[in-house]
Amino acid sequence: MGKSLVRVVLRKELRETFRDRRTVFSVIISPLLFTPLLLSMIGMLVTRQARAEQHEVLSVGLVGGEQAPSLQRILSNSRGLRFEAVSAADAQTRVRTHDLRAALQVPRNADALLADHRRVPLKVLVDPGNEASQRTAQRIHAFFEERSKRLVAQRLSKKGLSPELVRPFDVRDTRISGGGSVAGLMLAMFLPYVLVLSSILGGVYAANDLVAGEKERGTLEALLVSPASRRDLVMGKFLTVAIVSLVSSLLSVVGLVLPFWLQPPGMSWLARTELTLTPLALAAMLLVQFPIAILGAGLLLSVSTYARNQKEAQSYLSPVMLIVTVVAMLSLILKAEAPWPLALAPILNAALALKQALNGSLDPTFALLAVAASAAYASLAMAFATRLFQQESVLLKA
Amino acid sequence: MVAIDGLAKSFRDRKRGEVRAVDGVSFECRPGEIFGLLGPNGAGKTTLTRMLATILQPTAGSAQVAGYDIRREPEEVRRHLGYLTGSAALYERLTAREVVTYFAELHGLSPKRAANRIEAVFRTLDIEPFADRRCDRLSTGQRQRVSIARAIVHEPPVLLFDEPTSGLDVLSARGVVRFIRQCRDEGRTVIFSTHIMSEVEALCDRIAVIYQGKIAAIGTVDELREQTGERAFENVFLRLIGEEL
Ligand SMILES: Nc1ncnc2c1ncn2[C@@H]1O[C@H](COP(=O)(O)OP(=O)(O)OP(=O)(O)O)[C@@H](O)[C@H]1O
Ligand SMILES: [Mg+2]
Repeated sequence: MGKSLVRVVLRKELRETFRDRRTVFSVIISPLLFTPLLLSMIGMLVTRQARAEQHEVLSVGLVGGEQAPSLQRILSNSRGLRFEAVSAADAQTRVRTHDLRAALQVPRNADALLADHRRVPLKVLVDPGNEASQRTAQRIHAFFEERSKRLVAQRLSKKGLSPELVRPFDVRDTRISGGGSVAGLMLAMFLPYVLVLSSILGGVYAANDLVAGEKERGTLEALLVSPASRRDLVMGKFLTVAIVSLVSSLLSVVGLVLPFWLQPPGMSWLARTELTLTPLALAAMLLVQFPIAILGAGLLLSVSTYARNQKEAQSYLSPVMLIVTVVAMLSLILKAEAPWPLALAPILNAALALKQALNGSLDPTFALLAVAASAAYASLAMAFATRLFQQESVLLKA
Repeated sequence: MVAIDGLAKSFRDRKRGEVRAVDGVSFECRPGEIFGLLGPNGAGKTTLTRMLATILQPTAGSAQVAGYDIRREPEEVRRHLGYLTGSAALYERLTAREVVTYFAELHGLSPKRAANRIEAVFRTLDIEPFADRRCDRLSTGQRQRVSIARAIVHEPPVLLFDEPTSGLDVLSARGVVRFIRQCRDEGRTVIFSTHIMSEVEALCDRIAVIYQGKIAAIGTVDELREQTGERAFENVFLRLIGEEL
């Protein structure tokens, strides 16, 4: 009898919850539609910007170039940089006003130094507060780097020497086959964050609605007078929030991974890196979601039970949300190979275990400890919510 | 059958200190009887009915509802109880039928029995025309009828009504009153709290006048008239709670 009443409550609450537009939007529509959309948009912008930057011609002031025609000849071969003769005084102000991206100061005797095979001191005027200016300076550096190598090679070969004389090492990267991909690395970073946030935020509306909302609207009293025990009621509501949280985090993950698999237009930047989720990573993801969802459900339901109405619940929740967000951010920053005491930190432990699994560096002791600690916290939260639900002063607070 | 013996409830209020909301109330209410609780605002009517409904723990005294002790067997009490308050609301995102079905299930009715009962109740209360409409699209009067259906779907022998007509227009209120009378005629025990004199006069077989948590007087309408020597029931009431006319 008792068990079936939990089912009765659960069935009704789920039906009602998924008829709530706020929940449907935040749990289903937003992660499945807006996450991929947002990702493709970011991708599109990033690629477009990168391409635009490649083709961009940056105007650079040239100070003192008149006396150095051979250096000017070298500069005229630069790609993406257009030099314009300016006076030293003008250079400062025009860089400051963003009229020029940067300026290059050439000494009077530059050509003589070049001819003597002596070093030519060059000064780049750059505005550190202007990103475009810094980018331009970088391009100037790269240009001269490349020119220097060529010049050295020419000079050496003129003397009958090999260019290898000044470049004793040649270092290059080769990608191993079967290793992780860049996309995998990104996922390992973002998935725990998204998972933590979505599994707790996803249940907020449902939890607030289920107790504080019932109090506010005046439906709770009749429910309390039904034969269902408080335990039945709280279990039914608790499971509802946990299920909504799970659906939310699951769909968030799907929404995040979907663009990698579907390869929609504008996501060509993802196409270059194939994404492989190992079965271990998938299992870890599912395993990690449960304790977070259950702990979150217990927390949210406790707050909802304690509050007089939904508005009050919302304001009690803001510090909780802040903590959860900070924890989620920590999971972005912290390395996956964390010391074991972190396995006891609620929520963060799950996020880190997941990060390890996605990295392929799962530490079994850490994972076990994290799962055990999470289970303990979750049952504590559950017990607390049940306790609270049994107090008449809390339930009938006017 | 409801038997109440010395029931009391105190609240600890931060500003007012200890509030004796119900202070040693005793009475009995028999099947086929409508028992009225008449009292001004804050008299303790809601607190008393909530104790009988087992959602508040009494601080002293005892009570039996349908033969079950409210302290020792609260779940049995609730199983045999229909409870309706004027402030009761419905689940807005569910249809009338879904709401009543939910309560039938909570009361452990088998699917077949639930369906039969819902059909019967919907017919008597004339809910059928809007049974499959969501509750947030119903009028106040329609909602109240659904609330009644929800409260009696399990055919409880004891019914508790706490100001069930508050916020209703005359027509809807009369419908509720007629329904309460019908419950009595079916042999149920009905406790009905209100502060509306006319409802008491028209409906109640016996009345307890409650004031400041205590019973000021108990008896039939005529007995109370006799006791005070007043005709108009409003005056009877004022006399009983010790007010000057
Ligand atoms: N949870 C509570 N905490 C503190 N005091 C309470 C609480 N509930 C009720 N009271 C107090 O108990 C007294 C009786 O209240 P109750 O609601 O039972 O009266 P009532 O007869 O139903 O009044 P009304 O006609 O306004 O509904 C009042 O003084 C009220 O302020
Ligand atoms: Mg009241």
